[in-house]
Amino acid sequence: MPDNPAVELRELTKSFRVRRATGRGIAARLRDVVAPQTHAVVAVDRLSFSVRAGERVAFIGPNGAGKSTTLKILAGILHPDAGTVRVLGLVPSHERYALAFRIGTVFGQRSQLWYQLPPRDTFALLGRVYEMDATEHRRRIDMLVALFELAPLVDTPVRQLSLGERMRCEIAASLLHAPQLLFLDEPTIGLDVSAKATIRELLRTESDRQGVTLLLTSHDTGDIERVCDRVIVIHRGRLLWDGTLADLRRSYLTAKRITLWTEAERLDVGKPGVRVISSHSYRTELEVDAEMTSLGSVVDAALRQSAIRDLTVEDAPLDVVIRAMYADADAGGES
Amino acid sequence: MNRKLMVLSKYVAFARISATHGRYDRSELYGRMAFFVVILGVFSSLWGATREAGLAIVADPKSLVWYLASTEWILLSAPLMHVDVQEALRRGDVAYEVGRPVSYVGATFAQGLGFVGSRSPLLAATAFLCAFAFTGWVPPWRALAAVVLFGSVAIALLTALHLAIGLVAFWIGEVTPVFWVWQKLLFVFGGLMLPIRLYPPIMQRLAAFTPFPDILAGPASFVLDGEAVAGRVLAVRLAMWCVATTAVVQWLYTRARRALTVNGG
Repeated sequence: MPDNPAVELRELTKSFRVRRATGRGIAARLRDVVAPQTHAVVAVDRLSFSVRAGERVAFIGPNGAGKSTTLKILAGILHPDAGTVRVLGLVPSHERYALAFRIGTVFGQRSQLWYQLPPRDTFALLGRVYEMDATEHRRRIDMLVALFELAPLVDTPVRQLSLGERMRCEIAASLLHAPQLLFLDEPTIGLDVSAKATIRELLRTESDRQGVTLLLTSHDTGDIERVCDRVIVIHRGRLLWDGTLADLRRSYLTAKRITLWTEAERLDVGKPGVRVISSHSYRTELEVDAEMTSLGSVVDAALRQSAIRDLTVEDAPLDVVIRAMYADADAGGES
Repeated sequence: MNRKLMVLSKYVAFARISATHGRYDRSELYGRMAFFVVILGVFSSLWGATREAGLAIVADPKSLVWYLASTEWILLSAPLMHVDVQEALRRGDVAYEVGRPVSYVGATFAQGLGFVGSRSPLLAATAFLCAFAFTGWVPPWRALAAVVLFGSVAIALLTALHLAIGLVAFWIGEVTPVFWVWQKLLFVFGGLMLPIRLYPPIMQRLAAFTPFPDILAGPASFVLDGEAVAGRVLAVRLAMWCVATTAVVQWLYTRARRALTVNGG
C-alpha cells in the first residue's frame, strides 16, 4: 500500500435489501405491502485497492458491477456494511462534510449548472457552497476560464451552449474549489470526437498542473486510454484487475492483428492459431494467436507466397480486451 | 466571516440564484396570472348575480372578491416543491446532491423561497389589479398590508409543507396522490373560496385543528370587513405551525438520509 494514498479500500462490502414479490393477486400484493419480503443483493464484495495522490485511474466494469456504489461510498453518500475506507485521510461515512470540501464530482449525465443562467452564476453559488474566500474565488475563476478557454462562454446562458462547451463549464465548476480528488462518471458521454479530445486533454493538464487525483468511470475506452495510467476493473462487486493499461493488454490478449499488402492478389497462410479477418484484393487482415504461432513465422509464410509491399501489426482495440476480460469473468462465475 | 453567517450565506445564495433563474422561466407564471384573471372574473360575476337575485350573502361581494384574490395569491405563490424532490429522487440526483457541503433539505427550501421571491410580487400585483378591476374598490391599506405580511409567512409555510410531502417520496416513490388529498383538504378546510364562518360548526371545529385555515383564510380575512382574526392570534398560530413543520421536515429528512446511506438513492 502507498504511504499516503488518496483512496484506500480494504475488504469493502456493501449489499442492498431488495423487495421480492411473493405472488400475484390482491392478497399477495397486500402481503407485500404489509410484510414485504426482501433479499440481499451484494453490490460490492470484499473490494480492496488504493490510489496514490496524483494518480489517474480508470475504474471500470460492466453495468451493475458496483462502480457507482463504490463511488458513492467514497464520497460518503453511502455507508459500507463492512471493510474500511479512507479518502484523503478521512473516513467518508463519518466525515462526509469535511471530505466534501476536498473532493469534486463530474457526472456526464447530470448537470450542476443552472440551465437558464450563465455558468458564472453557478460559479458564484459554488463559491458560497464551498466557503471560498472572495479573492481566491475570483482567482480560481480567472485561472479556469483561461485554462478551459471559457471567456466567450462564461456569461452565456447554459441553454445556449453546445454539449461540449457545457461539459467544459461543468468540469471547471467541479474544479473551482481546488479539489484534491476528482470523481468522473462518463465525462465525455454524448460528445463529438473533437469535444472528447478537448475534455481528455484538459483533464490530463489539470491533473498534471495541480496534482489532482482522478478516478474515472467510463464505458468509452478512449477516455481510459487518453486520460488514465492505471486501470482497476471490477465485476460483480469484486476486483478483477488492477494494473497498467499495457499489462492489461499483455495479460488478456495473446492475439495480434497483422494487415498485409501483397503483390499477389490473395494469400493463404494456413497455420494453426491464424484466423483470416478479411481478405480483399492485395490486402489480407489476420488475427494471430501469439501463443500458438509466432508473428515471424506468419510473415515468413506470407513472404514465401508473395512479396510484401507493406504490413502493420496492432494490438486488438482496448474494448476487445475488456470484453474478453468480462467474458472470462462470466465464464469463471458460471462454472 | 462568522461561521453561522457563512453557513447562512450558502442558503441565501441558493435563494438568490433560484430567484434569478425564476425570472427567466416565466411560462408557468403567465399561466397562473391568466388563471387569476379568469377565476376572479367568474367569481365576481357569480357573487354579483347572487346579490341581484336577492339571495343572502354573508359578506359584501366586493370583499369576497378581494378575499378570493388573497387566498389564490397565497396558493399560487407557493412552488410545488414535492414535484422537484420527487423528480430529483427519481433521477438519482438526491444521492449526489447530499455529497455537497450543504444541507440538501435546507438548499431545496432556500431555492423554493427564492422562487417565491421572484414570483409572489408579480402575482400580488396581478391579484391587486384584477380585484380592483372587477370591484372598483380597494380595501383599507392596513388590511392589505396585513394580508401581505401574514400571507408571506403562510406562503413560506406552504412551501415547507410541500417539501415535506416531497420527502415522503423516499418511501413511496410517487407522492402525487398524497399531494392531491392534501390539496383538497387545503381547499376545503383552508376556506379557499369562502370564509370559514360560512361552514357548518363541526367543519369549523375540525378545521381549527389543522394548519389550513391559518394558511389561507387567516391572512385573507383581513380584507373582509369586520372579520379579520386578531393579528396576534394568527401570528402565534402561524409560528406554531412553522415550528411543527420544521420539526416534521427535519424528522422526515433524517429518516430519509438514513434510508439513503444504507440502501442507496
